[in-house]
Amino acid sequence: MKKKGSFLAPFFYKQSKVLFSGDSLNLILFTFIVLLGFTSYYFGRKKAYRIQYTKKRLTALPQFYGYYLAIWCAIPAFIIFSLWAIFEPTIVKLLILSDYSNQGYLDNELNLIYEKTKSLSRGQFTGEITPFIEASAKKYLNLRSIAQSSKVVIVLSAIIASGAYAYKRISSNSRTREPVEKFLKAVLFTASLAAILTTVGIIFSLIFQTIDFFKVIPLFDFVFGTHWYPAKAFVRDSSEALDPSMYSDTFGAVPIFAGTFFIAFIAMCVAIPIGLMSGIYLAEYASIKVRQYAKPLIEILAGIPTVVYGFFAALTVGPFLKEIGNSMGLDVSAESALAAGGVMGIMIIPFISSLSDDVITSVPQSLRDGSYAMGATKSETIKKVIFPAALPGIVGSILLGVSRAIGETMIVVMASGLAANLTLNPLESTSTITAQIVVILIGDQAFGDPKTQAAFALGMSLFLVTLCLNIVALRVVKKYREKYE
Amino acid sequence: MKKNGVKMIKISSKNVDVFYGKKQALFNINLDIEENQVTALIGPSGCGKSTFLRCLNRMNDVIDICRVKGQIMINDFDINDKSCDVVRLREKIGMVFQKPNPFPKTIYENISYGPTIHGMAQSKNEMDEIVETSLKKAALWEEVQDRLHEPGTGLSGGQQQRLCIARAISVKPEVILMDEPCSALDPIATAQIEELIDELKKDHTIIIVTHSMAQAARVSQNTGFFHLGELIEHGSTDKIFKNPENKKTQDYITGRFG
Amino acid sequence: MNKNKEQLLNKRYKAEKRFRLYGQSAIFMALIFLTIFIFKIFSTGYSAFKKTWLIVPVTFDAELMMLEQNPSKEDLEDADYYDIALKSMADLDPNANEDQENELKRMVSYFFEREIKRELLNDPSLIGKTKDVYLTASDDLDQVFKGNYPRDLPEDQRRVTDYQLKIFDQLVELGKVESKFNLSFFTYPDSREAELAGIASSFMGSIFSILVCLMIAFPVAVLAAIYLEEFAPKNRFTDFIEVNINNLAAVPSIVFGLLGLGILLAVFQLPRSTPLVGGITLSLMTLPTIIIACRASLKAVPPSIREAALAMGASKMQTTMHHTVPLSMPGTLSGTIIGLAQALGETAPLILIGMVAFVNTIPGSPLDPAASLPVQIYIWAESAERGFVEKVSACIMVLLGFLIIMNLFAQIIRHKFEKKWS
Repeated sequence: MKKKGSFLAPFFYKQSKVLFSGDSLNLILFTFIVLLGFTSYYFGRKKAYRIQYTKKRLTALPQFYGYYLAIWCAIPAFIIFSLWAIFEPTIVKLLILSDYSNQGYLDNELNLIYEKTKSLSRGQFTGEITPFIEASAKKYLNLRSIAQSSKVVIVLSAIIASGAYAYKRISSNSRTREPVEKFLKAVLFTASLAAILTTVGIIFSLIFQTIDFFKVIPLFDFVFGTHWYPAKAFVRDSSEALDPSMYSDTFGAVPIFAGTFFIAFIAMCVAIPIGLMSGIYLAEYASIKVRQYAKPLIEILAGIPTVVYGFFAALTVGPFLKEIGNSMGLDVSAESALAAGGVMGIMIIPFISSLSDDVITSVPQSLRDGSYAMGATKSETIKKVIFPAALPGIVGSILLGVSRAIGETMIVVMASGLAANLTLNPLESTSTITAQIVVILIGDQAFGDPKTQAAFALGMSLFLVTLCLNIVALRVVKKYREKYE
Repeated sequence: MKKNGVKMIKISSKNVDVFYGKKQALFNINLDIEENQVTALIGPSGCGKSTFLRCLNRMNDVIDICRVKGQIMINDFDINDKSCDVVRLREKIGMVFQKPNPFPKTIYENISYGPTIHGMAQSKNEMDEIVETSLKKAALWEEVQDRLHEPGTGLSGGQQQRLCIARAISVKPEVILMDEPCSALDPIATAQIEELIDELKKDHTIIIVTHSMAQAARVSQNTGFFHLGELIEHGSTDKIFKNPENKKTQDYITGRFG
Repeated sequence: MNKNKEQLLNKRYKAEKRFRLYGQSAIFMALIFLTIFIFKIFSTGYSAFKKTWLIVPVTFDAELMMLEQNPSKEDLEDADYYDIALKSMADLDPNANEDQENELKRMVSYFFEREIKRELLNDPSLIGKTKDVYLTASDDLDQVFKGNYPRDLPEDQRRVTDYQLKIFDQLVELGKVESKFNLSFFTYPDSREAELAGIASSFMGSIFSILVCLMIAFPVAVLAAIYLEEFAPKNRFTDFIEVNINNLAAVPSIVFGLLGLGILLAVFQLPRSTPLVGGITLSLMTLPTIIIACRASLKAVPPSIREAALAMGASKMQTTMHHTVPLSMPGTLSGTIIGLAQALGETAPLILIGMVAFVNTIPGSPLDPAASLPVQIYIWAESAERGFVEKVSACIMVLLGFLIIMNLFAQIIRHKFEKKWS
């Protein structure tokens, strides 16, 4: 028996409407916890005042009693609430799919069944409904409503239990400031873990897709292959068996890596001389007035969003170079590596100039005095004394610039080609890691597809390369700073 | 030293005023420095003795807001005149600073820096010779001859200061300015430097700014006493220390202030 | 010997001059780039703030609109305006054949029906009368009027036909073409038609993303900075956190996009293309910037303040919360604004989490699909139509305007409120 989804859908939709929808229930519960936290603050403080009224000395300010109670009230409930939110869907899914175990379904198919169940229960399902799915959907709604009511009960009783416990514990000689401060310190500490969590998140998001990718494409082919043509790996039906031979000669990343470093090289050819010389000029020659105006003006270049540079490179610089090339009888692509790299170089000028300005200014004045007193001119002092002394810091800032150039995305996406040519001719178009990631992932992505996985593998290589550059650069700069501080 | 019984004046300053922005730091300084003698400038801190010293090789040019008025004649040549070339001036007048400031290079390069920029050596051999004599004159040769190509910053404080002196004398200056050269050093290193100063005055005119009156008494032949930007008194060291004319000088010498 | 010396000195001074010149020209070049840049954007963008209107006489013929006598408001809402709209365009040239009538219709935007309707709704007494109505010109004619269109191209290479140009020129001569301030650029959402495309949707998308980013990044970053600067023991673990923060500040932005895609969308199943996901992704990027700024300004509070509070018997936590943190706020806030300005200009991570989808509605909450201003720039820059070029530049001007305002604001906070410790 097959029914049309549109026929049955309103029924489910209505049924689910009877209860609160999951989201609004969560919102109400959350608001309740927060409100209760606030009110319990006043209760705690009031009790402290009462104690004070009986002429007993408090061990802490009355506020701390309030905070103490509020923390006890809200935090356990909040923890239960969050754990519930995290684990409920997984458990429900397991329960639903337990009906289908031992029936020889593949993981993908089970996932699909679960998705169908969910959308039917929301009344949004439009395909054909099998009795199995219908039964599952009913079970799903049932489970959800049980889960929701038990959640409300458990959270509320947690609030009452822990709140009452804490309220009873408050007395004239109970310690409240220490636990409150300990709690705050724990919150501060947790916040400081955000940076680590982000790094872990980055690695986590990259690594699984990357591993899956290398299961299909051998690492060797990726690192040493010279043909990059991901469009060949079209989206397959999930049931189709993986056939590695389909992808041979498709995911060779050499042209991409070469293109990335080539464009970064062009960018640094523009950025290093201009950035370094302006940094030196600002630090050593410029009068206070010139410095006051020129420095922020140059730094504006760093504040311009990269998409704007990309537009500038694609619309103005690319065609301009092509025209010049044509007038000299050269064949210049409108999307040449030169245009992208050149504009990227302009973008990096302020990084190099202000970093090297900082580094040069932190060279102690006594070295300058020593050199001037020997009768050296300014440029001799700079070239022979200051520059060598500042060299580690300058190298560090250049490395940071290189890392930026390698990771820059929008300029290359918009101004450089998207086809991966293996070339060292700056007038032709090349592609980069970042551009390929965008090209692959723009629009709809199918996870589990080697093409998508390739983007993550590229992302992984990008992350690793820039990570190494950053660590080396930051360490060099730090060492340098310590030397003169 | 006297030639035909007449004192040879190497540097003479007339009516020198120095301003930092609007603030006047030195008032009408008139001081003559004798050739091949050690002249000590003493006074409490902030009295302008270092400022005066820095006028003599125009190091004050480095400071944007600093203005110098008046006349400073070296070998009858006004150094504040437009025709005076500051690079050549500083070649003739070396300087040693309060804190040893060797360049972050090798010992050899530290010494050869001056002769190289002034084009004093035509060959590697000549340069080696200059480095060796400079280090010998600075009484450092024995200690560093085996590690000429190690960084100068690796030496001890006293050695670093002697390296700086060696660097200063490598271009054979006529005058050496020393701005409290021993203030960052221990007594033994100080004694070595003082001995060295006595040695150096044979070939160079030396002006030393010092905090320590004992040091002034030990190393100098002439002394000038500065107070609040004015030159209170100057004359032979003997006279200043034993028989000062001015009340303030006497108070300072006897330790009533400072 | 002396002569040699003279020569050497000359050479040295020449080298000095040369070196100085290199420095000056480096600064000069950087500033020239900036000037060309700004000039180029302004010169192509300013015309987008003007919009060309055709003034067309429209007869509100009740019969053609299928209206009965004394229509109610609802009747007017439901009436058929297409026919009178078509007719009024066709009437511009009484001799037009069917093809030409079609071409006439395409001289204005497809909103012409709506524009005529709005006219009547504003003044229902117009029924049966004729009135001059302002209709949005098609983007190509808009460009023709602004003088940006290559009219000399052969006809088959341009989208405007000779016939359309002829009629348009006639209208211009009659004074029936007007250029007015382009309000719809700010109030309309994105559109495939350049003449109707506006930045309202992407603007709201940016605002929502930045708000989400602020709400997440600011508290977490400040708390983290307080811990690291005031409470953290010096050990390997805090060193590790520190290395992590400095590193994250230099990780390419696109990697954060992959994080958003791989974790927020794939694992947490958050809704695609929404400012919520965009904001979370941007907040992870902004986090290190704010932490570094906040730590720097905490560090700048002199220890004497802390010692004074501690000596009064305040606990470490009270000292920090009552004295150190408030004193560090100006620096933290200006760092936060600068971080947000960076986030506002970010494009690549938002593209990866799908904020590049075509959205022609104005989002009302962070859970509605949206683009953002920089992504809008990218979308329009990739469009082939000539009309979008000036829109891109205009959008850039709006974006840069915001960035400048934010940076100025940060400067003001820093200079006005930051205490100078001597």
